[in-house]
Amino acid sequence: MDWLNRIFRRDRLYAEVSQSIQEHLEEKIEVLMEKGMSREEASRAARLEFGNVTRIEERSREVWQWPKLESVWADLRLALQQFMASPAFTLTALATLALGIGATTAIFSVVNTVLLKPLAYPDPDRLALFFETDGQREFSAVSIPEFHFWQEQSNLFQDLSASDTDSVGLNLAGDHPEVVHGLHVTENYFHLFGAQTVLGRTFTTVEENLNGGRTAVLSYDLWKNHFASDPSILGKSISLGGDPYTVIGVAGQQFQTELGADLWLPLQADPNSTDVTPFFRVVGRLKPGVTLIQANAQLKLAAVNFRRRYPAVNRRMYFVVRPLQDAIVGNSRSSLLLLLGGVGFVLLIACANLASLQLIRASGRKREFAIRASLGASQGRIVRQLLTESVLLSLIGGLLGLGLGELAVRLLLTVSSGDIPRLGVNGSAVGLDWRVLAFTLTLSVLTGLAFGLAPARGASNFDLSTALKESGRAAGTGFHQQRARALLVVGEAALAVVLTVCAALFIRTFIALQSVNPGFSSHNVLTMQMALTGPRFHQTAPVAQLVREARQRINALPGVMNSATTASLPLQAVHRIPVDVLGRPAGSAPNTGSTQWLAVSPGYLSVFEIPLLRGRDFNQNDSGTSPPVVIINQTMGKMFWPRQNPLGQQILLGKGMPPMFADRPREVVGIVGDVLTDGLDATVQPMAIVPQAQVPDGITDISDRMEPIHWVLRTSVEPQQLNASVKEQLLEASGGIPTSETRTMRDIVSRSIALQNFDMQLLSIFSVSALLLAAVGIYGLMAYSVQQRAQEIGVRMALGADREKIRNMVIWQGMRLALAGAVIGVGAALTITHLIATFLFGVKSWDPAVFLTVPMLLSCVALIAVWVPAHRGSRMDPMQTLRAE
Amino acid sequence: MTKDSQHRDLFPGALEIMILQTLRTKPMHGYAIAQHIKNLSDDLLQIEEGSLYPALQRMLKAGWLESAMGISARDRPVRIFKLTALGRKHLEQERSSVERMFAGINRVLAISKT
Repeated sequence: MDWLNRIFRRDRLYAEVSQSIQEHLEEKIEVLMEKGMSREEASRAARLEFGNVTRIEERSREVWQWPKLESVWADLRLALQQFMASPAFTLTALATLALGIGATTAIFSVVNTVLLKPLAYPDPDRLALFFETDGQREFSAVSIPEFHFWQEQSNLFQDLSASDTDSVGLNLAGDHPEVVHGLHVTENYFHLFGAQTVLGRTFTTVEENLNGGRTAVLSYDLWKNHFASDPSILGKSISLGGDPYTVIGVAGQQFQTELGADLWLPLQADPNSTDVTPFFRVVGRLKPGVTLIQANAQLKLAAVNFRRRYPAVNRRMYFVVRPLQDAIVGNSRSSLLLLLGGVGFVLLIACANLASLQLIRASGRKREFAIRASLGASQGRIVRQLLTESVLLSLIGGLLGLGLGELAVRLLLTVSSGDIPRLGVNGSAVGLDWRVLAFTLTLSVLTGLAFGLAPARGASNFDLSTALKESGRAAGTGFHQQRARALLVVGEAALAVVLTVCAALFIRTFIALQSVNPGFSSHNVLTMQMALTGPRFHQTAPVAQLVREARQRINALPGVMNSATTASLPLQAVHRIPVDVLGRPAGSAPNTGSTQWLAVSPGYLSVFEIPLLRGRDFNQNDSGTSPPVVIINQTMGKMFWPRQNPLGQQILLGKGMPPMFADRPREVVGIVGDVLTDGLDATVQPMAIVPQAQVPDGITDISDRMEPIHWVLRTSVEPQQLNASVKEQLLEASGGIPTSETRTMRDIVSRSIALQNFDMQLLSIFSVSALLLAAVGIYGLMAYSVQQRAQEIGVRMALGADREKIRNMVIWQGMRLALAGAVIGVGAALTITHLIATFLFGVKSWDPAVFLTVPMLLSCVALIAVWVPAHRGSRMDPMQTLRAE
Repeated sequence: MTKDSQHRDLFPGALEIMILQTLRTKPMHGYAIAQHIKNLSDDLLQIEEGSLYPALQRMLKAGWLESAMGISARDRPVRIFKLTALGRKHLEQERSSVERMFAGINRVLAISKT
């Protein structure tokens, strides 16, 4: 309660000071009266020698005050009075601030959720994701022997857990069969991620054992929605992909990892496994005190031992760990930071506009400051008053901006979330927290200081007597003040140009992406996934039979033109596999390498309208018993048979892979056009397409466990119309296997460029705002200057200048600033656009078209903004303006 | 206000040093301090009497002075200011630095005369 005591003590101290001063004066008067003065004379003389009593009392009290708290309060009250006195200014400023700070807050709250908010697990900053790397690319898909090898590095990690790389669709049987997402995990997965249970328990080493039996832990949502929160679910059996599993636990309501799962199954990895195929993902927790750098150094060294144990693996391969959060966020980090930078530019321009407004106001208030100065206010006091006003204004604006920003971010993420991770459904994970509040508060204060500083400096530097003598109206035409405003306008124009150049480059990128020929047609194509888990699909033949029968049913549906299955869709990741050209002497031409690998059913080419360049398509006769065949894409043909006809040649796929994946030599029977995988901005890779019916059993087994197959249909009607009937046919043909993830191919294409779309849209909004704000800035300056120079214009007119000349003079003065800004902006943009080169596609960071168009666009906008005041100036009646003076 | 700026302290802290020096011999009240400084400086340093009080408050806050009620030479109850040990120490430090400063200034003035 020290401060309370201080307040009381202070009151006493104040009283003491006043008392001492009174004593002093009385004694002085007494002395003077003894010298023969009258009481009145003595009193006046005493006061004269003493000085201003009130002022001295005030200064004495100030010594005891908290750092100027009381006077700050007085400043605040004064500031509020000032706002009330000029509502037009206050409203304009608040609206600008709310928009600027609101937009920045909106972007920041996304940045906060994705980049700053720690993961919702215990010790999130010590969680690391494991990668296998050849020094150039890093792969988070790793193998069981690698997992076991890392477990041996026990001095680095205290918890190490492996899981599937992605959750697998599993068919949960019941009255309403549905596809649920299951994730195979090691027993310590739940401990690593801090999972609680509401019922039962999670896995132990017993379930983790190879013979641990079939058990499952349900997610809270699945338990609630599918099992109606059945309290006696523990010990019950559920059917997944035809196999019975015993429920041993239900996870807590909050528990989910980024992989997303409806239920978890034990991974049951073979401790003696030597299978180095990468189908798993490993996350570990660093021991306290172990840094990422130490761990990576040791892992790199240890890789030597691993390669010695498994000579088959790539000789340059080693291991790295990365913070889990970085790995999850991926490339959206740079996008978000870019957007934050962009919105920062808009805020800067808004600041410049406000500073300009403040300058005008300050000039109108020159007399007020002069009077206050003559009454004893120091320069510092006036500066402080002005800064208090602007900071208070921006704090109120920031508060409005916070609300506006929340609204904007909700709206934005509902429209499009750019496929950015960690945002939740429609951005539900984005919200206010202390970081956003602190950011907005800091931003508001800084904004207030930024736009208040220049005018405050200007206002405190003036000659008292001239300011008092000058009439209120003529004040503010001073050269310095006008120059400061002109510089602000030039700066605004330059910033707007830089931002617009960036936006234009993104627009061009997006257009380029959209005009890429992906090698297939996405028009009227419907896709859906089907999970083929369970003992029925461990071999190729039953899958082929299911596909054949289901295709017959679907193709018979009215509106369906053709259908097929494929292991993966265009634009999505595809497996790679070693390839060898048979019967070719080593060294003469490329005889070995790797290729993308795709298994499809007949109909695949026609569904996607992929052109068959030579040879033939697959048909029903390409079965497990017929001679093995392969279709290659054009790129593969050129790569392996640069001067030869590939048709009729023999290749061997998957040489060196574990025996269960062993393939037979295949004859090339067709060459097709290239299809893009990994996205529209990727380069075409060689690809080998094999008939699904001829896939080795080992590969069918492992892929059916790991991944769903995709059904694709070409329709003659709107694809979604056929959704229900196709699902029904597939359900019947497969004996009750449901489908999921129904999407049109068009949707998948636009999703693949969602992030670029998101960036482009936001940058466009920012750049339009920047251009508008810059235009408002130029307009404001010129309008004010015309008003200030009414007398000069009047004289010029009286002396015979015609209206056109006056108009052109004003236009030229405004345009000079805009053009200066455009030149500076182009220069600045040229030096910084290479920083965004990695975001661009199909356009150079110095694209001449962009660098020519944007300054022209700015000039047009500026011309419109200047035209209005110029026109008004030229319409002035010289007699009236002269008389008004 | 104009008077204030014409007779500004020679250097910051000068008033404080004079007050400390004045109080070194015996505790005094405000009026007496003002008269003492005026008399001793032979009216060369015309300090505004009032400016004494903010300075006194600063020194109270810094702990160089203490104040208590006492009786003036005219038998009036007045607030008396007294030097503390801390104030005495501060005075010694300030005096030596002031003397060094004046010595330096004198030397420069002497040289520039020749």
